[in-house]
Amino acid sequence: MVALKLIPHLLSWAGILLVLLRGYSERRSVVMKTSITGFTGGVAGAIILFRTFPETIPFGSIKTALAVSFFLLWVFSVAAVYSSTARRVPISRRGRFVNTSLCAGAVAFLAGMVAGAICTCRFPATASNTLTFIVLVLAAGALAYALVFCVRIIERLLPPSFTVSPSGMLIAVVAFLLFSSSSILRLDLFSPLSMKVMKGIHDFVHQFMESILIPDHLFVRSVVWKYIGILFSKGVGFWGGMVIWFTPAFLIVLAVNFERLPSVAHIRQGAQRRKLLAAAIKARRHRLVIPLLSVVILAAAAYQSSFPSTEYWDPKPIPISANQSGEIIIPKKGEVNLEDGKLHKYLFKQGDREARFFIMVTPEGQLTVDLDACAICKPDGYGQAEGSVICYYCKTLIPLETVGKPGGCNPVPVVFSVKGDNVAINGMTLINTWGSTVQATTRVKEGGK
Amino acid sequence: MAETIIETNGLTRSYGDICALKPLDLQVPEGEWLSVMGHSGSGKSTLMNLVGGLDRPSDGSLRVGGEDLLALSEDGLARFRREFVGIIFQQHHLIPYLTAVENVMMAQYFHSVPDEAEARTALERVGLGHRLKNRPGELSGGEQQRVCIARAIINSPKLLLGDEPTGNLDNKSTIMVMELLKELRAEERFTVIMVTHNQEVAAWGDRTIYLDDGVLVREERMNS
Ligand SMILES: Nc1ncnc2c1ncn2[C@@H]1O[C@H](COP(=O)(O)OP(=O)(O)OP(=O)(O)O)[C@@H](O)[C@H]1O
Ligand SMILES: [Mg+2]
Repeated sequence: MVALKLIPHLLSWAGILLVLLRGYSERRSVVMKTSITGFTGGVAGAIILFRTFPETIPFGSIKTALAVSFFLLWVFSVAAVYSSTARRVPISRRGRFVNTSLCAGAVAFLAGMVAGAICTCRFPATASNTLTFIVLVLAAGALAYALVFCVRIIERLLPPSFTVSPSGMLIAVVAFLLFSSSSILRLDLFSPLSMKVMKGIHDFVHQFMESILIPDHLFVRSVVWKYIGILFSKGVGFWGGMVIWFTPAFLIVLAVNFERLPSVAHIRQGAQRRKLLAAAIKARRHRLVIPLLSVVILAAAAYQSSFPSTEYWDPKPIPISANQSGEIIIPKKGEVNLEDGKLHKYLFKQGDREARFFIMVTPEGQLTVDLDACAICKPDGYGQAEGSVICYYCKTLIPLETVGKPGGCNPVPVVFSVKGDNVAINGMTLINTWGSTVQATTRVKEGGK
Repeated sequence: MAETIIETNGLTRSYGDICALKPLDLQVPEGEWLSVMGHSGSGKSTLMNLVGGLDRPSDGSLRVGGEDLLALSEDGLARFRREFVGIIFQQHHLIPYLTAVENVMMAQYFHSVPDEAEARTALERVGLGHRLKNRPGELSGGEQQRVCIARAIINSPKLLLGDEPTGNLDNKSTIMVMELLKELRAEERFTVIMVTHNQEVAAWGDRTIYLDDGVLVREERMNS
C-alpha cells in the first residue's frame, strides 16, 4: 500500500534524474553518484527529523526547502530572460559555473535529498527503532541505485539532438519536486501561495479603505464596490497564485526562445552557413521541450493541490432532525462512532432553514460540537487532515487540539450537552448560530453591500 | 586523375514488363560534364532520376558521392537530394504565384533556412538582378530557365543534373544558358550531367554517351 503511494514520488524523481543526466551529459557519473547519495541522505535525514522533533519541524523544513527552490527558480528565470535579451553576452562566470561538476553534483544531491525527504513524508511515523531505521535507509539506497540505473538506460534511448539548457534543468527539477510534494497536504505550496495572494489583496484593499482614499458616497458604495468586491472573491487568490506559479516557467520558455544563435557570418559558403544555422535553430527548439513540459507538470501540481484528498477525510453530512422538544440527539456509539477521532458531519433542517455542523473528539479526548463554518470565510466547511482540520475555503490548517475553541478560522463552537451516552444539541440555537455566522461571512464576501 | 563521383554496376530499372534501363555500367569522374543523348524513350530521364535519388533502381549497384543510394533510407535519400544534387528540367517547375527570389528562397527553405540576400546574389549571378520581384509568368523561357539554374545551385550541390533544360529554348537563349552553366561550373566545380537531343548542346560537354532502348551503345569524348 505504502509502496503504491510512493510511485508518483519516485516517478517525479526519475523525471529529475532523466533531465539532469541529459543536461549534464558530460558529468553523468557525478550526477548518478550524488543523486543516489542525496536520495538516501534525504530519507535518512527526514526519518531522523521525524524521530527527534514533533511533526511540524520536518514538514516545515521540507516545505521551506521547496519554497526556497521555487524562489531561486524565480530569480534564475528573470536572470535568464535578462541575459538572453542582452545585446552582447560574453560567456558569463555563472554560465561557466553551471557546467562544473561541483554544480552538477550539488544540484543532483539537493534534488535527490528533497525527493527522498518527500517520499519519507508519505509515512512519517514508521521507523520506531534503530533496526528499522537502518533497514529503511538501506532499502532507500538500493531503490535509489536501481532507479538511477533504470533512468540511465531510458536516457540512452533519447535522440542525441535532444539537449537541456541549464534553465531547463532548473525548471524541470523544481516542477517535479513541486508535483511530488503537492499531493502531500502539509508540503503543498500552491494552496498556501494562493491563500497568501488573497490575504495580501484583502489587506491592501483594507488599508486603502482605512486611509479613506475611497470616499463613502452612495455611488462609490453601489458601483465601485461591485468591482472591488471582485477582489474579495475566491478566484483572486487562485488566479493570483497561478500567475506567480507559472511566470518563471514562461520566462524560461521566453529566455530559451530568445537565446542567441551562434554566429555563422564567418562561413563563406551559403549552403554550409544556412545548414549550421538550421541546426542551431533545431537544437534551440529541442531545448524548449523541457520548459514546456515543466509548465504541464506545474499545472498538474496546482491541480493536485486542490485535491490532496488522499490524505484528508471528507465526510458527507448526514441529514438529521430534532425530536418534539426541539433537541437533536445523537448517540455517541450509534451508527457512527463519534469517539473515533474523526470529524462527523451532520446536516440539520428545520422548515426551510438549515445548518451544518460536525462532532469530533480531539486528541485530548474532548468532545466538541462545531458549525461547519467559521466566522471569517464563506461556509465551504471543513475536512480533516492529518493532525488538523482544514478549511476548504481558505485551506488553513487548524490543529485538532484547538478545534472547539472559538476565533479566527476555527470552526464556530456550538453549545451542547452530554446526556448519558448521547450528545444533545438545541436545534433552534444551532439554526440561529449558523444563521448569524453565515450572514456575517457572506456580507464580507459580497463586499459590504 | 579525379575521383569517381558516380559509379554504377549493372544498374537496372524496369517498370513491370518494360525495362527502361538495361544493366548499365557507368563511371563519371568528379568535375566532368557528361552529355546524355538518345532517342525518345531510350531511358535518359530514367537514368537521371536514379542518379539524382528521385527514383530507386530495380537492380544493380549505384554509388554517388561515396554514398550507396540503395542502402539509404527514405530520409537519407531526401537528405542526399537536398544537399548533394541540383536539378533543372525542361519544364521550369517554378511556383507560379511566388516571385523569382521567393522561388529560390523556397529551395533554401527545404535545405535549411531561407536567406534573402543570398538568393538575390544568386539571381544576380545568373543575370536576373533586375527581375527579382517578377513571377515566372512574367519571365521569358530563357529567364525562367535561369531562375531554375539559380535555384538548382543555391545549395551548392556537388552534382548538377539537367534533363533537356534547353529543350524549350531558341538558339540564342540556349547559348546564353549554356554559357552561364559553363561559367558557374568553373567557379563552383560541380559535376554536370545533361540530357539533350541537340548535338550542339551535347558538344559543350567533355563526353557524350548514347542510350538506345536502355542500353549504352556508344560514347564519344569531346576535344574542347
Ligand atoms: N513511371 C513509369 N511507368 C512506366 N513506364 C515508364 C515510367 N517512366 C518511364 N517509363 C518508360 O520507360 C522508358 C524510358 O523512359 P524515359 O522517360 O527514361 O525516356 P527518355 O529517354 O527520357 O525519353 P524523352 O527523350 O522522350 O524524354 C519509356 O518507354 C517509358 O515509357
Ligand atoms: Mg526524358
